[in-house]
Amino acid sequence: MGGWKPWLVLAALLGLSLAWSKPLAFVLDTVPYRVDEAQAIVAQLKQIGVDVQVRVWQPTILREEVLKGTRAAYMTDWGSAYFDPFDLAIPKLETGGRGNFSFYSNPNVDNLFKLASTTIQEATRLTAYRSIQKQIFRDAPWVFGYVLDNLEGISANLEGYEAAADNGINLSRASLRGGDTVTVGMRTNALVSLDVAMHRDRDTEAVLRNIFDALVLRTPEGKVQPLLATSWRNETSTRFLVTLRQGVRFHNGDPFSADDVVYTFERILKEGGVNGQTSPRKGLLGPLERVEKVSDTQVRFIYSAPFPPNLILQSLVQFQIVPRRYIEQGGYANFLARPVGTGAFSFVRGRLDSEIVLERNENYFLGTPRLRRVIFRMMPEPSTRVAALLSGEVQLIQAVPPDLVSRLEGNNQVRVLRGEGTRSYQIELNTKQPPFNDIRVRQALNYAINWDAILREVYRGYAQRLSTAFLPTGFGYDPSLKPYPYDPDRARTLLRQAGFEVR
Amino acid sequence: MKLVKILERLLSAIPVALGVALLAFFSMRLLPGDPVEIMLGDTQASQAELDALRRELGLDQPLHLQLWDFFTGLLRGDLGTSIVQRQDVVEILATTLPATIELTLATLVVAVLIAVPVGILSAVRQGSWLDRLVLSGALLGVSMPAFWFGLLLILLFAVELRWLPTSGQMDPAIDLHRITGFLLLDSLLAWNWQAFLSALKHLLLPAFTLGIVFSAVLARVIRSSMVEVLRMEYLTAARAKGVPEWQVILKHAFRNALIPAVTVTGLHLGELLGGNMIVETIFSWPGLGRLVVSSIFAKDYVVVQAAVMLYAITYVLANLLVDILYTVLNPKVEL
Repeated sequence: MGGWKPWLVLAALLGLSLAWSKPLAFVLDTVPYRVDEAQAIVAQLKQIGVDVQVRVWQPTILREEVLKGTRAAYMTDWGSAYFDPFDLAIPKLETGGRGNFSFYSNPNVDNLFKLASTTIQEATRLTAYRSIQKQIFRDAPWVFGYVLDNLEGISANLEGYEAAADNGINLSRASLRGGDTVTVGMRTNALVSLDVAMHRDRDTEAVLRNIFDALVLRTPEGKVQPLLATSWRNETSTRFLVTLRQGVRFHNGDPFSADDVVYTFERILKEGGVNGQTSPRKGLLGPLERVEKVSDTQVRFIYSAPFPPNLILQSLVQFQIVPRRYIEQGGYANFLARPVGTGAFSFVRGRLDSEIVLERNENYFLGTPRLRRVIFRMMPEPSTRVAALLSGEVQLIQAVPPDLVSRLEGNNQVRVLRGEGTRSYQIELNTKQPPFNDIRVRQALNYAINWDAILREVYRGYAQRLSTAFLPTGFGYDPSLKPYPYDPDRARTLLRQAGFEVR
Repeated sequence: MKLVKILERLLSAIPVALGVALLAFFSMRLLPGDPVEIMLGDTQASQAELDALRRELGLDQPLHLQLWDFFTGLLRGDLGTSIVQRQDVVEILATTLPATIELTLATLVVAVLIAVPVGILSAVRQGSWLDRLVLSGALLGVSMPAFWFGLLLILLFAVELRWLPTSGQMDPAIDLHRITGFLLLDSLLAWNWQAFLSALKHLLLPAFTLGIVFSAVLARVIRSSMVEVLRMEYLTAARAKGVPEWQVILKHAFRNALIPAVTVTGLHLGELLGGNMIVETIFSWPGLGRLVVSSIFAKDYVVVQAAVMLYAITYVLANLLVDILYTVLNPKVEL
């Protein structure tokens, strides 16, 4: 018989405490506009014995905290302008990506991302993206979320207008029964600039696209069509030749030519290229090195690395052409005061924080617009926009909140348009720290949340679920991959396996 | 003598503005968030691009150098260039300020027009049904959120009755040459009645939203100081001399009861001139409040610093105005 052995008792106690599992508990960080959703998630997770506390943050502050790596689960959103994973899945899930808040790192996925953004073979890109979706679906670095519909309200008299997925407002083919002036209620507080090179803001772009044209145009469905360019082809994997439309004139009468295209891109590529200031749009050009003039009607885009033609076109959609001679001779201040482009409407007057007045370009190369005037008014309060549409003050409003849709649907003077959104909403999980460094816990959360119920209750059904970080409107989306089903039993099993007590 | 005092007070605004600017300089930079990250938003951006923008905006400099640049700029009268809009910040403030001043003045007119008669009447008829109505009405006015009240006015007057426009400063179809930036004044200068009427109509709802709330405060202040003054013996003396009752109340009593009301109005004036973000947002009013709040979220240091200095100067001026009014109301008071 041995003596009293305290270490044995200690070891037994330790073993006991390990076997004695605790429920999963964590803090869910959210932002003011998603509090309702967070509360619903808390209630749902409570049913399977997961204890969640909600903490509300101001978005920019949450972002800084998340980057320190000390938060566990956070509700985030990320917009895409390319209709391609290039500016959504890649920055969000590539190792060290600018938006990789889950700290997800999978060498396989990284290699496929690299392949997909540097090959010019569309088929290879497609296969790579399909494979990526399967892997991130399984790895579940996020609780995959949803994309909100882009809801716009229009007067029943407005014809020939469609809501676009990229929030573009194309009024060049629109007409108004019983009138020729359309006033648009914009969701923004203020536009950023009247210079197409000096902003990184969708609403500013939506307005400026009526004054300026890009080489190519995106249809409301996201397809790319010729605009100031008529055709294009890859000469090599890094050289892209674009043929320009002939006979187009800027609003001031100057002819449009290859010089204007070269100038437009030069001022963005060069540091300090816009009247001594640097354009914030350079990152949207991909690995573009320079643009050279081949002839008056042809330009060549030269890239420092192979860049897929689909991405080239999606990037060119975002760059409107400015008049070289007008800016160089008339001066930059004059251009800002009286911007001139080739677009369907020309600038009359305006202030960035109140309204911009445009009138039709009689000589528009796609035909004179039917509307005589278009006015963009900045109306940051959604209820005011809805009221202005109902009172007939405006004929088109951006961003109708889902809870105000019913107020418009009851009125036969107005209609609600529904376009697909391009912003992914999700819960990102910190994959480098317990408890979410365990893949089973991450998968369990994906099974445990009933998104369909949340989207129905909180967003009145104006949202689509996402199976991963890929958008249905984007390139490479795999429609056969279904989102995680709501399956609390499976969530319980996974949590139990991971050592948590469940209910 | 008096002018010297006023000049002294005006000069005292300078150190106040500088001190406040210094506070704004540090507090904006202590808050988390990087203006360049926010400007570029989501999507792809290379480190080189971020660095280039930071360099250009001077944000790569150590803090003491940024502060040095800020103060040497101030000496040259250069308040800087907005980070977001890349425009001279003085220009931005100069286009925003008139809208706020116009709304502030209209608000004060509405508040005074309501509060003065109501306050006097309820003091004179103290304890009557009118007085009780005013007191409970004032309570309602004070506790009514501007957000709710403003939307209510829009729904009633713009959507249902269609008497007034929902929002904005003027019908955008009217082309008015802006000289001062004050639309009512500019339309009078241009002799453009259509513009004047439109500007006036657009001004009514936001001015009422802000004015009703403030009139509730003001009416209570006027009532209580009137009640106090009405007990004074010199009023009995005036009545005994045969001065008519309305003259006793308006000339002898009201004037002496005004001092607390002037104080409250002066403080409120400073606040209103800062711009009310909520009301400006609801009524799409392109004023200072919206600009400052959106600049804080965008971390546009330059705009916030300049606006905060403007606030400081405004407060000093509003206080000075109140003190000058004291001397007018009561010659015994000195500056």
